[in-house]
Amino acid sequence: MATTPHEHGHNPALLHHFDTPGQQKEAATLGMWAFLVTEIMLFGGIFMAYMVYRWAYPAIWAAAAPHLNTPLATVNTVVLLVSSLTVALSVHAAEAGNKRQLVLLLLVTILLGVTFLGIKFTEYGEKFAHCAGYASPVAWATGGERLAEPECLVPGANFLFPVEALAAEGGVTAAVATAAARPGMKTPHQLFFFLYFCATGLHAIHMIVGITVMSVIAWMASRNRFSPAYFTPVEIGGLYWHLIDIIWVFLFPLFYLV
Amino acid sequence: MANAHDTGHQGGHDREGNYGHISVRTYWVVFGALMALMVLTVAAWYTQKHFVHLPEIVAVGIAVSIAIAKTTLIIYFFMHVKVSSKLTQIFAVSAFVWLMILFVIVMGDYMARGWPPAKGPLSQVPVPISAAL
Repeated sequence: MATTPHEHGHNPALLHHFDTPGQQKEAATLGMWAFLVTEIMLFGGIFMAYMVYRWAYPAIWAAAAPHLNTPLATVNTVVLLVSSLTVALSVHAAEAGNKRQLVLLLLVTILLGVTFLGIKFTEYGEKFAHCAGYASPVAWATGGERLAEPECLVPGANFLFPVEALAAEGGVTAAVATAAARPGMKTPHQLFFFLYFCATGLHAIHMIVGITVMSVIAWMASRNRFSPAYFTPVEIGGLYWHLIDIIWVFLFPLFYLV
Repeated sequence: MANAHDTGHQGGHDREGNYGHISVRTYWVVFGALMALMVLTVAAWYTQKHFVHLPEIVAVGIAVSIAIAKTTLIIYFFMHVKVSSKLTQIFAVSAFVWLMILFVIVMGDYMARGWPPAKGPLSQVPVPISAAL
């Protein structure tokens, strides 16, 4: 510990408070896992709320879920699973010292992440466009086709589930009418969409962070910062990316496949 | 100092930080399994929605079981838990232990207060104040 920095020839990536590169990597991996555990607990709270409310309002869930875009979400699931593969392969490329392949795989991962967010943005856009009274985001932007039946699935003061539109004209079941009339809550249908926007929104924020992390790592890789002896950032950045994938693995069936 | 350290942690340091045991072939096989499970979960959903009507608890059980299987594959292979130190493995498992504590205690409380939902605190049809008086 008394040695002054760099008077002895050692791996420049090895920090002085570690004995060996292996120990340093072990510490980094363990630290990342400790963080991932807190992330799982963060999303766990949302899943807890989901469990309670779905158990309480199964009929509402059955009515609300078909208003989400399952085909787009299925495409997104495939996109994320492929990105998990490219991340796993990029860690392998880093370990093998294959810089070209590493950078390429990281860029593909970033591209897949952006694709995911683009599809998510389309889904959200549809919901917000409906609230504005337009049939689609494009129609909203260009002042095109109006929405035939009023609908607003974004939680808030203007929330309007189509069933209520039916209720206004009469001809809806008593149970739904009662539910819609519950005090302090315009309708429990809003609960589903509230959870949907919270869960997928928080997940999308994680995607943005993940893409940023991957961009930094790709830049580092292109600057020859990694070697078979040191590629810890690729490894733990990859752990974060896989976690984002795991969260989606649960969000997908719970919201889109009700 | 290094010697004292090494002898103090026997058994762990020889593989410390060494993640070189998962082959590219394994990654592709795991990816294939993940895609198959994804198709399976969508197919199961489609089938029970349009053809066979299952009780909701069974349908959710199938979907969540498949999600758990996918998660296990990702954590074990893609996240290298298979070739990680015991301590890292314990950390990974601990996340799900904490989750179970959260779920079991909260749901236990709800059930103790009158569940299934038809009788539970969240679903009682509110009685107008005038009628309650």
